[in-house]
Amino acid sequence: MSKEPNSIGKSVMELPANIVRSVFRNPLPSSDRGRAATSFTNFFLHIQPVRVSRQALRPSYTMGLGLISFFLFVILTATGVLLMFYYVPSTTQAYERMLDLRSSVAFGVILRNMHRWAAHGMVACVFLHMCRVFFTGSYKPPREFNWVIGVCLFGLTLLSSFTGYLLPWDQLAFWAITVGTSIAGYAPFVGKAIKFILLGDATVGQEALLRFYVLHVVVLPLILTIFVAVHFWRIRKDGGLAKPEAEAAPKRIPVEVEIQEEPAPVMATASAAIVAPARRFTIQGLVRGPLVKVGKLEEDTVFSWPNLLVAELFVLLLTIAGVMLVSFFFNAPLEQPVNVMHPPNPAKAPWYFLGLQEQVSYSAFWGGIGVPGIEVLLLLLIPYIDRGREGVGRWFARQRILANSVFLLFVLVNIYLIVIGTFFRGANWQFVSPF
Amino acid sequence: MRLALAVVSLVVLVGSGALVYKETQATWQNHQKAYFAEAKAQAKTDAERASLDVKSPKIEQTIVTGFGASRVERCESCHIASDDPRFASGKEPVRTHPYSAAMGDVYKDGHWERKHKFSEFGCTSCHDGQGRGLTKADAHGEDEYWPTPMLGYTVQANWKREIAGHLHGADFMQANCAQCHKEKNFAGTALVARGRELFFKEGCFGCHRIQGVSSGTIGPDLTEVGKERKLDYLWGHIVDPRAYTPTSVMPQFKLSDDDKKALVIFLKSRRGTSPSESPVEQYARETSTVTPVPDSVAEVQTAITAAKTSVARGEQLINGYACLSCHKLDDHDGGISPDLTHEGLLRDPAWLMDHFRNPRSRITDSNMPAFALPEQDFQDMSAYLMTRTSALPAMTPAQTYESLCARCHGEKGNGKGSNAIYLDPAPRDLTRAEFMATKPRTRLVASIQNGVSGTSMPPWGKTLTDAQIQGVLDYVWAQYVKEKPRQIKARKLPDTNPVAMSADSIHRGETIFLQRCTGCHGRKADGHGPNSIDITPRPRNLTNAAFVQSVSDRRLFESIEYGVDGTAMPSWIDYGLSQSDVGDIVNFIRSLNQSSK
Repeated sequence: MSKEPNSIGKSVMELPANIVRSVFRNPLPSSDRGRAATSFTNFFLHIQPVRVSRQALRPSYTMGLGLISFFLFVILTATGVLLMFYYVPSTTQAYERMLDLRSSVAFGVILRNMHRWAAHGMVACVFLHMCRVFFTGSYKPPREFNWVIGVCLFGLTLLSSFTGYLLPWDQLAFWAITVGTSIAGYAPFVGKAIKFILLGDATVGQEALLRFYVLHVVVLPLILTIFVAVHFWRIRKDGGLAKPEAEAAPKRIPVEVEIQEEPAPVMATASAAIVAPARRFTIQGLVRGPLVKVGKLEEDTVFSWPNLLVAELFVLLLTIAGVMLVSFFFNAPLEQPVNVMHPPNPAKAPWYFLGLQEQVSYSAFWGGIGVPGIEVLLLLLIPYIDRGREGVGRWFARQRILANSVFLLFVLVNIYLIVIGTFFRGANWQFVSPF
Repeated sequence: MRLALAVVSLVVLVGSGALVYKETQATWQNHQKAYFAEAKAQAKTDAERASLDVKSPKIEQTIVTGFGASRVERCESCHIASDDPRFASGKEPVRTHPYSAAMGDVYKDGHWERKHKFSEFGCTSCHDGQGRGLTKADAHGEDEYWPTPMLGYTVQANWKREIAGHLHGADFMQANCAQCHKEKNFAGTALVARGRELFFKEGCFGCHRIQGVSSGTIGPDLTEVGKERKLDYLWGHIVDPRAYTPTSVMPQFKLSDDDKKALVIFLKSRRGTSPSESPVEQYARETSTVTPVPDSVAEVQTAITAAKTSVARGEQLINGYACLSCHKLDDHDGGISPDLTHEGLLRDPAWLMDHFRNPRSRITDSNMPAFALPEQDFQDMSAYLMTRTSALPAMTPAQTYESLCARCHGEKGNGKGSNAIYLDPAPRDLTRAEFMATKPRTRLVASIQNGVSGTSMPPWGKTLTDAQIQGVLDYVWAQYVKEKPRQIKARKLPDTNPVAMSADSIHRGETIFLQRCTGCHGRKADGHGPNSIDITPRPRNLTNAAFVQSVSDRRLFESIEYGVDGTAMPSWIDYGLSQSDVGDIVNFIRSLNQSSK
């Protein structure tokens, strides 16, 4: 309640400043207190810690792969929504819509290119991110379950990409999905049922197109978003990114962070910078518990604002620039419209399933279901099998040489199979040289 | 860090800028600017000049709603002068669309009046192409997957060059004129009418259905072929049906380029729906079961009805069902199926009737469809064919080979006659001395005299005298085999299978067959084993009952034990099969062919 009578003129004069203040709560911070306040009074920033360890910021440690994956997902969502304005999930119209996107929709080509390449990029980045986490031993307690969520996210990414693959309704899409769903059909007992539920029919057709569309634009992104949120939340609750043991148990220092008491009943929200602090608390005194790591702040940390934020911005711009450049020079493939009578020889699944298809060419059950099933199960169980506490937070730690070697072998074998399936397989799945 | 941030920011900024620039700066703007400048130079009044000065390029868009499906056309964004008569000598795309009295344009009071106004009909209803495209490649349909490239103007990059060369010219647009101008004698669609004529003259109607035109059922329905296929496919498929579809059984028609063009235009005009058609008319057409009979067919049908005797009726039926699209009869050669000229001397009525009802009952791998026709029609046609008994004129052996054998066995005797690819089993390669010279002459004579059951080799015994048969064989020997008959060492062979037929024996035979024979003869014993594609002559189809039943046990034993010289069949004695093993296999093969007799 101001003492002066309300003056319209004054309100008008202060309008811009008032609006800005009401939106952002804080001016650009100039003190540590302000930096902390900026982080936890902003919806989008409060997911981040107030302070972040220098280790987590080192590009050579994370290579930003998790963030790149996330930003690719954001790009995919944005371009995907725009594409939805033009797309019709109908066997008679889908392909025509592709041709329209290519020739008469403003920015149609670049939209489709960005969506396509970002999708491939996301599959690759999520996988590389998983490798990073393994090789730095970052799935060790208390992060076991976040690793499991990560593996699920990888699976969801593959599914999203796979369901999107069918939508252009060209030869590439049709036969890749035919091959992919056939592999699913090899599963014992439930294989045929899974295939039928996916396709809504015995073969790929209108029902399959509609199902894949709904999965691709609604179901999978929604689940993915929830899993991403949990993944992020757990990173915070597990004390940020994994750090080497020496740093993981720092000497505890009571860190004082100022929290304002509400100055007046009218200003119900915490407006950090507007009013002077009335009292000081230490967070240690506020919360304690096994999961919340607030008390374990290390010395080697910096404020998230601006350090983490700038790093994130950089990765975001880098991702956009990368996707944009690739989309500028390479067009998303579009082949002939679906011709059920003329399968290409060989019909190939999307590249990330070509390792699988290569395995299937040796044994349908073991290559398509048995081995991949065991692989996924082992991936999920890794943090519960490997209980050693050494070598966390460092690339290729000497103490983890066995685990790292086994995982490296797994990665290389899969990459090898994908390369063979992609480049060295010709008609009738014969071995051919691409040169 | 700041530098890196600045650099990527710049990249993103420049990238976005480039995208927007690429999207908004297009050649159509240059064409419009050129048009404004030229129009200004030709302008007569200051007011006109002033009005041109304030004009800036914009997308010229017509929405055609009254003619066919509603569509957006932006052609005039480049072709901005198409309705401005001052640009008659301009350079494309800034040029006046020609006026044509033939198309109904009227010259009145010193200026032309169009009959087909662009605002009413749009551009794509005549030209095809993509109305919404804003670059030449997009708008003209140069994109290889765009289904309707500009008729007669645009050749897509993936079209074969030798085909594409034929597909230029405004004539091809007749296919679109015919969408509305359906009268057969309409002056503007002469080539469509010519194509329709060829469709009947060449017998296309016998196999292909076009709604309201013909009702063939063997080949694909062509009712909407003009919508589904592009010019290059239509042309290429007529020139060589197997170029696009390796398994096509369509014959290769020998047509002049003009006739091919007419046929392509006629087919291109088959689009199913027509923009001038109201939904009610369309519904009526789609639900109509009446096929208007073209003049040529009507004549035949009148002749069938008028025919008094069964024989006469049969003769007309053979024309009416377009049998000669495939078969040869006298001088008319469809190029696919056997010669019917001497049918009365080659077959008997029972054989013909069986074969009509189900061709595969007599020739297991025949490609002739089983036509669902009234029994009476079969009887009439059989009756007619049985009258084909005229004696051959006196001929030298060379002439006999030429007129009776060459169509299948080929002029070079190599088994590659003009219709050989349609025959299964394939005609024997007479130049393969290793086969021919190792077979007793009596067997070769018998093959000519009695034919080979289950194959397309007919019995020539009633057509040719013994002397003529010997003469032809001598001719073949001198001309193609060119080798003396080889003396085969006497082989110890049983005349009848010494192993008694029993379930055990068949089972043992099957086991051996599955181990030793399936690589070539296939698991179904149908001659289509995995190795069969690399083998000529093809492995025998052992489920061909007519053939297997005509072969003696002795010959089966000989073929298995000693192999067949000149083919891929090896001598199985060398691979350890005993006499009783072979007996089991023979019993197994016999058991496969019992049910049908």
